[in-house]
Amino acid sequence: MIWKDKYNIGVPEIDAQHKELFARVGSFLNTLRSDKAWEEKVNKVNETVAFMKDYVIIHFRDEEDYQEQVGYPERDRHKKLHDGMVAYVAEVSEQYEKYGFQEIHMQQFAGKLVTWLVNHVVAEDQKIADYARSKEGRS
Amino acid sequence: MNKDLLTPFANATCETLKLLLDVDARTGASEADGGSEDKSRINVAIGITGDVSGEALYRFPVDTTLEIVKTMSGMEFTEIDEFVTSALGEIANIISGNALTDLSGRNITCDILPPKILDCGELSSEAENTYICSAKIDSSIGEVDVILRVKTD
Repeated sequence: MIWKDKYNIGVPEIDAQHKELFARVGSFLNTLRSDKAWEEKVNKVNETVAFMKDYVIIHFRDEEDYQEQVGYPERDRHKKLHDGMVAYVAEVSEQYEKYGFQEIHMQQFAGKLVTWLVNHVVAEDQKIADYARSKEGRS
Repeated sequence: MNKDLLTPFANATCETLKLLLDVDARTGASEADGGSEDKSRINVAIGITGDVSGEALYRFPVDTTLEIVKTMSGMEFTEIDEFVTSALGEIANIISGNALTDLSGRNITCDILPPKILDCGELSSEAENTYICSAKIDSSIGEVDVILRVKTD
Protein backbone atom coordinates (compact mmCIF):
# COMPACT_ATOMS: atom_id res chain seq x y z
CA MET A 1 0.00 0.00 0.00
CA ILE A 2 1.30 3.42 -0.90
CA TRP A 3 1.26 6.16 1.71
CA LYS A 4 0.32 9.61 0.38
CA ASP A 5 1.04 12.94 2.06
CA LYS A 6 -2.65 13.84 1.85
CA TYR A 7 -3.34 11.07 4.40
CA ASN A 8 -1.50 13.00 7.14
CA ILE A 9 -3.81 14.57 9.68
CA GLY A 10 -1.09 16.67 11.29
CA VAL A 11 -0.91 14.81 14.61
CA PRO A 12 2.52 13.08 14.65
CA GLU A 13 1.51 10.15 16.88
CA ILE A 14 -1.64 9.36 14.86
CA ASP A 15 0.14 9.82 11.53
CA ALA A 16 2.90 7.45 12.66
CA GLN A 17 0.29 4.84 13.62
CA HIS A 18 -1.46 5.23 10.27
CA LYS A 19 1.85 4.74 8.46
CA GLU A 20 2.53 1.66 10.57
CA LEU A 21 -0.93 0.30 9.70
CA PHE A 22 -0.34 0.91 5.99
CA ALA A 23 3.07 -0.79 6.20
CA ARG A 24 1.67 -3.80 8.06
CA VAL A 25 -1.32 -4.18 5.76
CA GLY A 26 1.03 -3.79 2.76
CA SER A 27 3.24 -6.56 4.09
CA PHE A 28 0.15 -8.68 4.75
CA LEU A 29 -0.96 -8.16 1.13
CA ASN A 30 2.47 -9.04 -0.24
CA THR A 31 2.34 -12.35 1.60
CA LEU A 32 -1.32 -13.06 0.90
CA ARG A 33 -1.10 -12.26 -2.81
CA SER A 34 2.22 -14.02 -3.47
CA ASP A 35 2.31 -17.04 -5.78
CA LYS A 36 3.39 -19.33 -2.94
CA ALA A 37 1.17 -22.19 -1.85
CA TRP A 38 -1.24 -21.33 0.97
CA GLU A 39 0.57 -23.75 3.31
CA GLU A 40 3.75 -21.72 2.90
CA LYS A 41 2.16 -18.38 3.75
CA VAL A 42 -0.53 -19.25 6.28
CA ASN A 43 1.74 -18.80 9.33
CA LYS A 44 2.79 -15.28 8.34
CA VAL A 45 -0.81 -14.40 7.49
CA ASN A 46 -1.90 -15.63 10.93
CA GLU A 47 0.81 -13.57 12.65
CA THR A 48 -0.40 -10.45 10.84
CA VAL A 49 -4.03 -11.09 11.73
CA ALA A 50 -3.05 -11.48 15.40
CA PHE A 51 -1.07 -8.23 15.23
CA MET A 52 -3.93 -6.37 13.52
CA LYS A 53 -6.47 -7.45 16.12
CA ASP A 54 -4.40 -5.83 18.86
CA TYR A 55 -3.00 -2.88 16.94
CA VAL A 56 -6.28 -1.52 15.62
CA ILE A 57 -7.65 -1.43 19.17
CA ILE A 58 -4.60 0.54 20.40
CA HIS A 59 -4.73 2.88 17.42
CA PHE A 60 -8.47 3.48 17.63
CA ARG A 61 -8.19 4.21 21.36
CA ASP A 62 -5.39 6.73 20.78
CA GLU A 63 -7.35 8.37 17.96
CA GLU A 64 -10.49 8.57 20.10
CA ASP A 65 -8.42 10.09 22.95
CA TYR A 66 -7.22 12.76 20.54
CA GLN A 67 -10.79 13.48 19.40
CA GLU A 68 -11.81 13.88 23.04
CA GLN A 69 -8.85 16.20 23.62
CA VAL A 70 -9.78 18.56 20.77
CA GLY A 71 -13.53 18.26 21.43
CA TYR A 72 -14.31 16.77 18.02
CA PRO A 73 -18.13 16.95 17.81
CA GLU A 74 -18.48 13.84 15.60
CA ARG A 75 -16.54 11.58 17.95
CA ASP A 76 -19.50 9.33 18.84
CA ARG A 77 -20.22 8.68 15.17
CA HIS A 78 -16.51 8.10 14.52
CA LYS A 79 -16.30 5.66 17.44
CA LYS A 80 -19.15 3.64 15.92
CA LEU A 81 -17.05 3.25 12.74
CA HIS A 82 -14.12 2.03 14.84
CA ASP A 83 -16.34 -0.33 16.84
CA GLY A 84 -17.80 -1.71 13.63
CA MET A 85 -14.33 -2.51 12.28
CA VAL A 86 -13.17 -4.09 15.55
CA ALA A 87 -16.30 -6.28 15.53
CA TYR A 88 -15.69 -7.20 11.88
CA VAL A 89 -12.05 -8.19 12.55
CA ALA A 90 -13.15 -10.30 15.54
CA GLU A 91 -15.92 -11.97 13.53
CA VAL A 92 -13.65 -12.76 10.56
CA SER A 93 -10.97 -14.06 12.89
CA GLU A 94 -13.46 -16.35 14.62
CA GLN A 95 -14.82 -17.70 11.32
CA TYR A 96 -11.30 -18.11 9.96
CA GLU A 97 -10.27 -20.27 12.93
CA LYS A 98 -13.56 -22.14 13.04
CA TYR A 99 -13.29 -23.26 9.42
CA GLY A 100 -9.63 -24.28 9.61
CA PHE A 101 -7.73 -21.23 8.32
CA GLN A 102 -9.01 -21.19 4.75
CA GLU A 103 -7.45 -18.75 2.30
CA ILE A 104 -10.78 -17.51 0.93
CA HIS A 105 -11.63 -15.91 4.29
CA MET A 106 -8.37 -13.95 4.26
CA GLN A 107 -8.74 -12.84 0.64
CA GLN A 108 -12.21 -11.48 1.42
CA PHE A 109 -10.98 -9.89 4.65
CA ALA A 110 -8.03 -8.22 2.93
CA GLY A 111 -10.15 -6.73 0.13
CA LYS A 112 -12.51 -5.09 2.57
CA LEU A 113 -9.72 -4.06 4.96
CA VAL A 114 -7.72 -2.21 2.29
CA THR A 115 -10.77 -0.31 1.05
CA TRP A 116 -12.01 0.48 4.55
CA LEU A 117 -8.58 1.67 5.68
CA VAL A 118 -7.96 3.97 2.69
CA ASN A 119 -11.45 5.48 2.98
CA HIS A 120 -11.24 5.84 6.75
CA VAL A 121 -7.91 7.66 6.64
CA VAL A 122 -8.62 9.82 3.59
CA ALA A 123 -12.25 10.68 4.39
CA GLU A 124 -13.18 10.16 8.04
CA ASP A 125 -9.87 10.98 9.75
CA GLN A 126 -9.39 14.06 7.58
CA LYS A 127 -12.59 15.47 9.09
CA ILE A 128 -10.87 15.39 12.50
CA ALA A 129 -7.89 17.23 11.01
CA ASP A 130 -10.18 19.80 9.37
CA TYR A 131 -11.96 20.38 12.68
CA ALA A 132 -8.71 20.72 14.65
CA ARG A 133 -7.35 23.20 12.08
CA SER A 134 -10.56 25.27 12.10
CA LYS A 135 -10.47 25.32 15.91
CA GLU A 136 -6.85 26.53 15.88
CA GLY A 137 -7.83 29.22 13.40
CA ARG A 138 -10.61 30.45 15.67
CA SER A 139 -8.48 30.54 18.84
CA MET B 1 -39.13 12.85 -6.23
CA ASN B 2 -37.72 9.42 -7.17
CA LYS B 3 -35.45 10.98 -9.75
CA ASP B 4 -34.14 13.33 -7.06
CA LEU B 5 -33.15 10.30 -5.03
CA LEU B 6 -30.62 9.33 -7.69
CA THR B 7 -28.55 12.50 -7.38
CA PRO B 8 -27.09 11.68 -3.92
CA PHE B 9 -26.00 8.25 -5.19
CA ALA B 10 -24.45 9.67 -8.37
CA ASN B 11 -22.70 12.45 -6.45
CA ALA B 12 -21.46 10.04 -3.78
CA THR B 13 -20.04 7.78 -6.50
CA CYS B 14 -18.11 10.69 -8.04
CA GLU B 15 -16.82 11.96 -4.70
CA THR B 16 -15.80 8.52 -3.44
CA LEU B 17 -13.89 7.71 -6.63
CA LYS B 18 -12.15 11.08 -6.47
CA LEU B 19 -11.25 10.77 -2.81
CA LEU B 20 -10.09 7.15 -2.76
CA LEU B 21 -8.42 6.99 -6.15
CA ASP B 22 -7.48 10.58 -7.06
CA VAL B 23 -9.28 10.28 -10.40
CA ASP B 24 -11.57 12.68 -12.24
CA ALA B 25 -15.21 11.61 -12.08
CA ARG B 26 -18.44 13.32 -13.07
CA THR B 27 -22.02 12.40 -13.83
CA GLY B 28 -22.35 11.86 -17.57
CA ALA B 29 -25.04 13.25 -19.83
CA SER B 30 -26.51 9.86 -20.68
CA GLU B 31 -28.32 7.40 -18.45
CA ALA B 32 -27.08 3.89 -17.80
CA ASP B 33 -28.96 1.08 -19.47
CA GLY B 34 -30.88 -0.05 -16.42
CA GLY B 35 -31.98 -3.43 -17.61
CA SER B 36 -29.51 -5.06 -19.93
CA GLU B 37 -27.06 -7.70 -18.84
CA ASP B 38 -23.45 -6.91 -19.58
CA LYS B 39 -20.95 -9.66 -18.95
CA SER B 40 -17.99 -7.29 -18.96
CA ARG B 41 -19.20 -5.64 -15.75
CA ILE B 42 -19.26 -6.59 -12.09
CA ASN B 43 -22.57 -5.78 -10.45
CA VAL B 44 -22.82 -4.87 -6.77
CA ALA B 45 -26.28 -4.54 -5.23
CA ILE B 46 -26.96 -2.73 -1.97
CA GLY B 47 -30.42 -3.10 -0.47
CA ILE B 48 -32.08 0.01 0.96
CA THR B 49 -34.64 0.00 3.75
CA GLY B 50 -36.47 2.73 5.67
CA ASP B 51 -38.26 5.78 4.27
CA VAL B 52 -37.14 4.59 0.85
CA SER B 53 -37.15 0.91 0.04
CA GLY B 54 -35.32 -0.63 -2.88
CA GLU B 55 -31.84 -1.20 -4.15
CA ALA B 56 -28.79 0.64 -5.44
CA LEU B 57 -26.95 -1.25 -8.14
CA TYR B 58 -23.42 -0.32 -9.17
CA ARG B 59 -21.95 -1.73 -12.37
CA PHE B 60 -18.19 -1.57 -12.68
CA PRO B 61 -16.36 -2.61 -15.87
CA VAL B 62 -13.82 -5.38 -15.20
CA ASP B 63 -10.87 -3.19 -16.28
CA THR B 64 -12.06 -0.35 -14.03
CA THR B 65 -12.47 -2.76 -11.13
CA LEU B 66 -8.91 -4.06 -11.54
CA GLU B 67 -7.60 -0.48 -11.74
CA ILE B 68 -9.48 0.45 -8.55
CA VAL B 69 -7.93 -2.35 -6.47
CA LYS B 70 -4.51 -1.71 -8.01
CA THR B 71 -4.66 1.96 -7.02
CA MET B 72 -5.74 1.23 -3.46
CA SER B 73 -3.42 -1.70 -2.78
CA GLY B 74 -0.42 -0.74 -4.90
CA MET B 75 -0.45 -4.25 -6.40
CA GLU B 76 -1.23 -5.61 -9.86
CA PHE B 77 -4.46 -7.57 -10.31
CA THR B 78 -5.25 -9.50 -13.48
CA GLU B 79 -8.49 -11.26 -12.61
CA ILE B 80 -11.62 -10.93 -10.52
CA ASP B 81 -11.29 -12.96 -7.33
CA GLU B 82 -12.55 -12.87 -3.73
CA PHE B 83 -10.19 -10.07 -2.78
CA VAL B 84 -11.36 -7.91 -5.67
CA THR B 85 -15.09 -8.51 -5.17
CA SER B 86 -14.77 -7.87 -1.44
CA ALA B 87 -12.98 -4.57 -2.10
CA LEU B 88 -15.62 -3.59 -4.66
CA GLY B 89 -18.43 -4.48 -2.25
CA GLU B 90 -16.88 -2.19 0.36
CA ILE B 91 -16.64 0.65 -2.17
CA ALA B 92 -20.35 0.24 -2.96
CA ASN B 93 -21.01 0.20 0.78
CA ILE B 94 -19.07 3.45 1.28
CA ILE B 95 -20.79 5.17 -1.67
CA SER B 96 -24.24 4.13 -0.44
CA GLY B 97 -23.45 5.19 3.13
CA ASN B 98 -22.39 8.63 1.89
CA ALA B 99 -25.55 8.90 -0.24
CA LEU B 100 -27.69 8.06 2.79
CA THR B 101 -25.93 10.76 4.82
CA ASP B 102 -26.92 13.21 2.09
CA LEU B 103 -30.52 11.96 2.12
CA SER B 104 -30.72 12.25 5.92
CA GLY B 105 -30.04 15.98 5.47
CA ARG B 106 -33.35 16.04 3.59
CA ASN B 107 -35.10 14.19 6.42
CA ILE B 108 -35.14 10.93 4.47
CA THR B 109 -33.94 8.23 6.83
CA CYS B 110 -32.75 4.93 5.38
CA ASP B 111 -30.42 2.08 6.14
CA ILE B 112 -28.41 -0.16 3.87
CA LEU B 113 -27.94 -3.91 3.72
CA PRO B 114 -24.59 -5.67 3.18
CA PRO B 115 -23.38 -5.64 -0.44
CA LYS B 116 -24.23 -8.52 -2.72
CA ILE B 117 -21.86 -9.29 -5.57
CA LEU B 118 -23.71 -10.56 -8.59
CA ASP B 119 -21.97 -12.69 -11.19
CA CYS B 120 -20.68 -10.99 -14.33
CA GLY B 121 -23.69 -9.82 -16.29
CA GLU B 122 -26.20 -10.99 -13.70
CA LEU B 123 -28.82 -8.53 -12.51
CA SER B 124 -30.85 -8.85 -9.35
CA SER B 125 -34.47 -9.87 -9.91
CA GLU B 126 -36.76 -7.05 -10.83
CA ALA B 127 -39.82 -6.66 -8.64
CA GLU B 128 -43.12 -5.20 -9.79
CA ASN B 129 -44.03 -1.64 -8.85
CA THR B 130 -40.45 -0.49 -9.05
CA TYR B 131 -39.29 2.87 -10.32
CA ILE B 132 -35.89 2.67 -11.99
CA CYS B 133 -33.57 5.58 -12.67
CA SER B 134 -29.92 5.54 -13.56
CA ALA B 135 -26.80 7.60 -14.18
CA LYS B 136 -23.56 6.95 -15.94
CA ILE B 137 -20.47 8.17 -14.10
CA ASP B 138 -17.62 9.12 -16.42
CA SER B 139 -14.22 8.74 -14.84
CA SER B 140 -10.65 8.63 -16.05
CA ILE B 141 -10.59 4.89 -15.24
CA GLY B 142 -13.85 4.03 -16.99
CA GLU B 143 -17.61 4.39 -16.77
CA VAL B 144 -19.53 3.26 -13.70
CA ASP B 145 -23.29 2.74 -13.89
CA VAL B 146 -25.42 3.70 -10.90
CA ILE B 147 -28.94 2.28 -11.03
CA LEU B 148 -31.51 3.01 -8.38
CA ARG B 149 -34.58 0.81 -8.04
CA VAL B 150 -37.18 2.20 -5.69
CA LYS B 151 -40.36 0.40 -4.66
CA THR B 152 -43.36 2.54 -5.36
CA ASP B 153 -46.12 0.70 -3.48
